[in-house]
Amino acid sequence: MNIKPVVSALLRNRMGAVLVALEIAIALAVLVNAAFIVGQRIAMIDEPTGLDYHDMFAVTMAGFTKDFSLPSSVASDMAYLRSMPGVVSASPVGSIPLSGDGGNGVLYAQTGQHGNSAVYTTLQTDEQGMSTLGATLIAGRNFRPTEILPWSHAIDQAVPEIIVTQSLARALFPGRQALGQVVYDVRNRPMTIIGITRDFKGQVGAGTPPYNVALMPQLAGAFGGYYCLVRTEPGRAEAIMRRAERELAVRNTTRVIFYAHTLDYFKGQLDSENRNMAIFLVAVTALILAITCLGIFGLTTFNVSTRTKQIGTMRAVGARKRDVVSHFLLENAIIVALGVLVGCTLTLGVGYWLSRAYGMPRLDLYFLAAGVFILAAIGQLAAWQPARRAASVPPSVATRTV
Amino acid sequence: MLGYYLWLAAKSFRRNPGLTALMVGAIALGISTCIVTLTVYHAMSGNPIWWKNNILYAVTMDGWDPSPSDPYDPAHPQLAPPQLTYRDAQYLYQSTIPRRKVLITQLLGVLSGAPGETAPVHVMTHAVTRDFFSMFDVPFEYGGGWSASADSGPEPVIVLSKEQNDKLFGGADSVGQTILWNDHRFRIVGVLKNWRPLPRFYDMTTRRWGEPDDAYVPFQWGPALQILPGGNSSCWGDPVTTYQDYLGSECVWIEMWAELPTAQARERMQAYMDSYWAVQRKAGRFARPLNNHLTDVSDWLKVNGVVSSDSRILLRLAFAFLIVCLINTVGILLAKFLRAAPTTGLRRALGASRRQIFLQHLAEVATLSFVGAALGLALGAAGLVGVHAMYTYGGAYGVLARFDPIGILWALALAAVSTLAAGLYPAWAIGRLPPSLYLKSR
Repeated sequence: MNIKPVVSALLRNRMGAVLVALEIAIALAVLVNAAFIVGQRIAMIDEPTGLDYHDMFAVTMAGFTKDFSLPSSVASDMAYLRSMPGVVSASPVGSIPLSGDGGNGVLYAQTGQHGNSAVYTTLQTDEQGMSTLGATLIAGRNFRPTEILPWSHAIDQAVPEIIVTQSLARALFPGRQALGQVVYDVRNRPMTIIGITRDFKGQVGAGTPPYNVALMPQLAGAFGGYYCLVRTEPGRAEAIMRRAERELAVRNTTRVIFYAHTLDYFKGQLDSENRNMAIFLVAVTALILAITCLGIFGLTTFNVSTRTKQIGTMRAVGARKRDVVSHFLLENAIIVALGVLVGCTLTLGVGYWLSRAYGMPRLDLYFLAAGVFILAAIGQLAAWQPARRAASVPPSVATRTV
Repeated sequence: MLGYYLWLAAKSFRRNPGLTALMVGAIALGISTCIVTLTVYHAMSGNPIWWKNNILYAVTMDGWDPSPSDPYDPAHPQLAPPQLTYRDAQYLYQSTIPRRKVLITQLLGVLSGAPGETAPVHVMTHAVTRDFFSMFDVPFEYGGGWSASADSGPEPVIVLSKEQNDKLFGGADSVGQTILWNDHRFRIVGVLKNWRPLPRFYDMTTRRWGEPDDAYVPFQWGPALQILPGGNSSCWGDPVTTYQDYLGSECVWIEMWAELPTAQARERMQAYMDSYWAVQRKAGRFARPLNNHLTDVSDWLKVNGVVSSDSRILLRLAFAFLIVCLINTVGILLAKFLRAAPTTGLRRALGASRRQIFLQHLAEVATLSFVGAALGLALGAAGLVGVHAMYTYGGAYGVLARFDPIGILWALALAAVSTLAAGLYPAWAIGRLPPSLYLKSR
């Protein structure tokens, strides 16, 4: 196959070729970067929570009358929730895992704000908290019922002992045994690590590493609201939650229920931004690819139909059908190659800009390689059908006048 | 002449219905995608009180923990906390420099004792000082705000949202009636019209896109009833045991805004804050570097990261898509016009001027653009419904429902400009072809 006639044919409609190449270049840049971002977002959504969140729910309540008593309300609410059929475990908690509700702080490995430090989520709970969370101890022990500090009017009460997640333990004591170590909070109050659990995600406030959680043996509620966390038998969380919400409301009228939500709901909220971004990116990328394909298809079809006479001449002077097909495919391949070449530069440029402006990780070059392959393939596929149609032009056309 | 051009255009469309559909479809898709992302972006970056943007200032002082291991916001350690401590807020509020000023905090609130009550209901309550309503142009259906004496008392007065008034009083004028707020009897002094600034710029620490306020009470009711804030509260420093400790602590939990209409007033307010800072620093507070700020609304939205980087990226993506769609259309139009070059050559030979050829093709392009843009607007509206459903889950409900007039104008302008720009080149190029070449070639 001689490339010269192909090139000269191309040069006759330079603008058309340049436009298609440009389209391919933009499509490549969008495809590769969008796929890269979508990959990251899916990884974020799939990040393990370490919780059976499908089978958990939370109820948030707050007292509002003068005769409201937090300890007795919590006690009766817990007794009721634990007595419900289908409930595996229930506990009062100071923050709700996967939600934005709760508190955080900083822990230090040494006294006087020295040594390693880590931002963490506080999760006040009782001795059944571990079981409600479904957390697994990998070292040390659980809280004993006698160790749970009763609720007091103190707004910020120190606890002598805590249980921490592996991630928090590692952040404070890298490469060392954290169990039995004493850590200090921002007010330099000492706390002994009595247990270490497998990682799970705590409350997800801005800037707090999600796996850094410390369980504290106390009842929380100074800020008015109090939270109950419940784990149910598989598949029953929603139904039990509805019933609990109705029942709790009438059992104690000195407090109101703010909300009852499954942890599925919080997980959905947490993922919504990533999910929406992924959906939108996939949709627009698919549309760009489709439009590019249709554009190549339309233009090749058009080129074929305007060059009917030349094709007839080619055939008349001895070109085989195969030669006509390869003529048009080669013509298209040159355009696609040009587009992909420009596209690679554009892709890397966009990737660089995304990492600079939005702090995204640098583009993975495998994505670029895959994108080039995909665009080259669909570019040729789009031109294939019109090229075949060109080959079916009979040589006799050349002898007629159009 | 125009009628004739349009007739020619229709004929040309009928000759290649597939290509015509492809072009119209591409324009429509490109425009609808841009409309959707532009609307989302516009809604998220909209300034809910733009008409007072350079008058209203968020007041912040940096008295946070000087320890580098305990920044207020680990992602932006250089920023001052967005809220003030009770001490600092009380001091700054005494200043007579601002024309108006307001202290704001969120309190847990439960309403009961109204005729329409079915059960006590948790309501989003903001405890504010009296200027809140006039500063932020809050519209009243009945009654109004409260007096300065109600602030200092504090008097048991409450302002309800339209939604709560509809629920509890059937939408009637409830001013003068009483209701229980946290089991204390409050007199209703005002009922708002629908008012829902998005984002909730005056308190962005929690649920800035979330449910609107249901009730407002005088700021001092928090301390009077010893209610800790229901919104964000961040502490460092000495342990806090009692409510009195809390008021004297370094805990930040109060938003402050000042209305400063002139540059001179702003300078004076800044000097007032800085001199207070200096005095307090000598007494051992404010260990971090001087970082007192008066921030106008649009900067405040920026500092608080209101527009997500996702929506910025999507906006650019949508424009890239529109460009691809337009390039596509230009390419096809060019090819199509070139194919009809012999006919065009004949027209030129018979005396049609370049201008007439240009106008003829422009008519074709304009028809295509018009249909594509109309279809794009319809698709965009449908897409917004879909996006609305997507975002409802994220707690940002209602934000994106607005297909506002300015948005429509933008979309129309976008459609007209982009498609005409795309069509201009082919129409111009075809008019420049030498007629003789095409007359003899076939």
